[in-house]
Amino acid sequence: MVAASAPVRHKRGFKVSKRWLPYVLSLPALLTCIGILIPFFTAVAYSLQRYRLSQPWAREWNWGQNYLNFMSDPAFWNTLKVSLSYAFLAVTLELLLGLGIALLLQRRTRFNNTVSIMLLMPLMTAPALAALMWKLMTNPGFGILSYYASLLGIEDMRWASSPATAMFTVVLVDIWVYTPFIMILLLAGLRSLPRQPFEAAELDGVPRWFVFWRITLPMLTPFLLTATLFRVIESIQQFDIIYAMTQGGPGDTLTVFQVEAYLNFFQSTNVGRSAALLMILWAITYFLSNLFIKNWLRLREKARGEA
Amino acid sequence: MSPVERVLRGLAITLVILFFMFPILWILLMSFQTNETILRVPPSMVFEPTLINYRSLITGKLQTAAGSLEIQFMRNLWNSLLLSTSSVAVGLLLGVPAAYAFARLKFRGSEDIAFTLLSFRFAPPLLVLLPLTIYFQQIGLANTYIGLIWVYQLIVLPLILWIVRGYFEDIPADVEYAYRIAGHSWFATFRKIALPLAKPGIAAAGLLAFIFAWNNFIFALVLASADKQPVTVGALAFVTASGIQYGQIAAGIVLSIAPTFALAIYAQRYLVEGLSLGAVKG
Amino acid sequence: MSLELTEVVKSFKDDLVLDGVTLTVDKGQTLVLFGPSGAGKTVLLRLVAGVIEPDAGRILIDGKDMRGVEPEYRGVGMAFQNFALFPHMSAMENIASPLTARQLGASAIRSGVDALARLLKIDHVLTHYPRELSNGQKQRTALARALAGQPELLLLDDPLRNVDAKLRFEMRLELPRLLKSQNATVVYVTQDYKEAMALGDRIAVMNHQGIQQYGTPEDIYMRPAHSDIARLFGDPVINLLDVVPERSANDVMIRLSGQPLTIGEHYAHTVSMPCVLGVRPEAVQFADEGTPGSFPVKVEAETPLNEKTVTLMLTAGNREIMMSRPAGTPGPATGTAHITVDLHNAVLFDHGTGTLIESSNSKTGLHGEVA
Repeated sequence: MVAASAPVRHKRGFKVSKRWLPYVLSLPALLTCIGILIPFFTAVAYSLQRYRLSQPWAREWNWGQNYLNFMSDPAFWNTLKVSLSYAFLAVTLELLLGLGIALLLQRRTRFNNTVSIMLLMPLMTAPALAALMWKLMTNPGFGILSYYASLLGIEDMRWASSPATAMFTVVLVDIWVYTPFIMILLLAGLRSLPRQPFEAAELDGVPRWFVFWRITLPMLTPFLLTATLFRVIESIQQFDIIYAMTQGGPGDTLTVFQVEAYLNFFQSTNVGRSAALLMILWAITYFLSNLFIKNWLRLREKARGEA
Repeated sequence: MSPVERVLRGLAITLVILFFMFPILWILLMSFQTNETILRVPPSMVFEPTLINYRSLITGKLQTAAGSLEIQFMRNLWNSLLLSTSSVAVGLLLGVPAAYAFARLKFRGSEDIAFTLLSFRFAPPLLVLLPLTIYFQQIGLANTYIGLIWVYQLIVLPLILWIVRGYFEDIPADVEYAYRIAGHSWFATFRKIALPLAKPGIAAAGLLAFIFAWNNFIFALVLASADKQPVTVGALAFVTASGIQYGQIAAGIVLSIAPTFALAIYAQRYLVEGLSLGAVKG
Repeated sequence: MSLELTEVVKSFKDDLVLDGVTLTVDKGQTLVLFGPSGAGKTVLLRLVAGVIEPDAGRILIDGKDMRGVEPEYRGVGMAFQNFALFPHMSAMENIASPLTARQLGASAIRSGVDALARLLKIDHVLTHYPRELSNGQKQRTALARALAGQPELLLLDDPLRNVDAKLRFEMRLELPRLLKSQNATVVYVTQDYKEAMALGDRIAVMNHQGIQQYGTPEDIYMRPAHSDIARLFGDPVINLLDVVPERSANDVMIRLSGQPLTIGEHYAHTVSMPCVLGVRPEAVQFADEGTPGSFPVKVEAETPLNEKTVTLMLTAGNREIMMSRPAGTPGPATGTAHITVDLHNAVLFDHGTGTLIESSNSKTGLHGEVA
């Protein structure tokens, strides 16, 4: 009946034993990444050395000395303080703003969808270029923001070049770039919430602020947590915006971890201190990213389950 | 909704759009102006648009009061394109088979390895970059495209791996089994079943990886010198070089962000999923 | 092609799914794997197909050990419960997939697919993609794909599970003929006892990580090895009544609602043992008051089931008993009635373990004479 009585003839493809197959498939990716792990361990070694590029002859192991030095190093404490304030300010404001916008755009209308796509544009802008844009806008000569500030009676607003307003300015850029990230995550979260509790509350005439605090917010928590951790991890490492805008200045106003480490390495050629700074930053982000990954996995399971 | 609330909502949305869109609009307008109109006080929306900024960027000749100046901007744009495209190509080549292995052929240590790869995404990039500057000198990869493309895998690979893995996992195992039982090898099954069915995910991951690679700043800042720098780093140098040619800076920025905007609009369906590494479905 | 499984063990993580399964299917025979979901039926099929590997034990196809043999070299065909059609290929390409693997010429593939499509009545939808097919067409396409390679061993994983009742009924009639025409050895998984009875030369009842009973359909229906199996076969479900056999003057008897019924001397070993009597609802009948062996019951509810009428009744001890009789036969709808129970095809199970209690004389079952 079926003309398929020909014997099974198989193409001689390359044959890999079943056991080795997964390793063969993932090996290239792994090797590439091992190439990244080696420098990591080198950095660990550097952090335990007295090592200046300008004085290669004086290079020696000093074990924990770089770290111990930090205890009495005001520049280090300044770095820690600036990094944490930057992360705290940026993420808090982005969270509030992002949540607000997500709530505004919650309903699936064509207008809301268009707006949410428009709002993604800052996020698609390279942070370094965003900093440049804002640098132009805050230019004392022709910057539109400087002009508006003067209209408001704030003469001689020096934005990122003044220690008083530098932090405010870079945080503003950070907010401009990254609020859309939080907004879009929370928007997806809001739209994925089950409808019944809200419909029931509406039928019962529950006040809206109560619905928000007791239903919306608790159900949104996993999304809020993911967004927050993600952003804290990233903003505590912020480099692009700050470097492109002020290179850490004026003075040491904005010497966050990565900027300080970069300047230490390339300007004062102090490799040991630079590496030790980065190790401390790594420890902080490692702790946070473990938290994040756990929470993220739970969300991912859920997203996959619903799909 | 009460009328008062309606007005307040409208106001809030207007303010939001203004805050997020205004800088882009302002830079766009600026790119069509000459220095004279830019420097007017008070600033005005009314001006005669000119393409001179774009023309001088594209021809590479910058006319200033001090004379003619060579600019590298097109070179930067080309570098961005080359670095992002090749990084994504390499990332897909390495990442897609690995993602398949992680999704389908659960093997010893696969989860640990996948997480190690993911955690790279969150480590401070300078931690790896600083030692690499020294290593790259030693092994001759300093200031080469190959060296840069390799380092770009740090952001490209985890993204591709985790998004594509999710898409592979969404293919019912039975569909692949059915093809095997029909008499096809695993490789034929991978090519004829898994790849076509995960295609949207692969495309999305590729586009997003391209955007991230394009927007990257720190890798090239540390590892590349002028002739290999992408626009993100190049634009910064350009500011210093061109002095007060603000119109050209603005035009440069417009040219640099246009590709990612276009891709973002094209791939908007996948943005949420990609940005959250697959944790949230768009 | 014969199939032989010896002591096959499979677990996923800490979850033991198959605990030493041994099974033989002769060439050309259809074996039905029957059991509740989670009994490991599907896992067993996948092990045979080679898409997963057993932890221990041997699988022989045609006498050849299949350890390490990739699925594409096992020469089996398989249809999946959820069809598992290739969504990006047309019905035609789906069905052709076993033929393309053999690198047959285009015309040979075409004629092979056409013949099967005609046989399964899907020749008019061959160009459609799976998402454009109805459930019934999907199911037929999946079946055609499994058959296309003319496999000598055919694995069918509950292929009628996801189609509607009408179609299931049609296919139940069509399938036996189709399977016989293929001359293949078939392993057929189902959760539907009627399908199992209709299709199986042999039935293996799977439960608790293993095979609980193996036999012909008649064997399993008439002499279920366990009260759980008795419950799975038959609709409405078998009546299970607690009884304690006792010795009467010259026989062994049980009491149903106080009414003594002898069960025969060959059940002497059950005396004083708590037992469960399994009586099919068909063996329960209305009787006039005073009929020997009859006892009164209260009629609780009545409902039609297919071509039968099912009546739920309560005995004097408030225990439920179910009767099934051809629809249209008269009977009191409510109130009190009298019934007799025919014990000839009834079975006795151990109350504690639920296992079948054999008569000491293998030729005779329960007597069921009025004491």
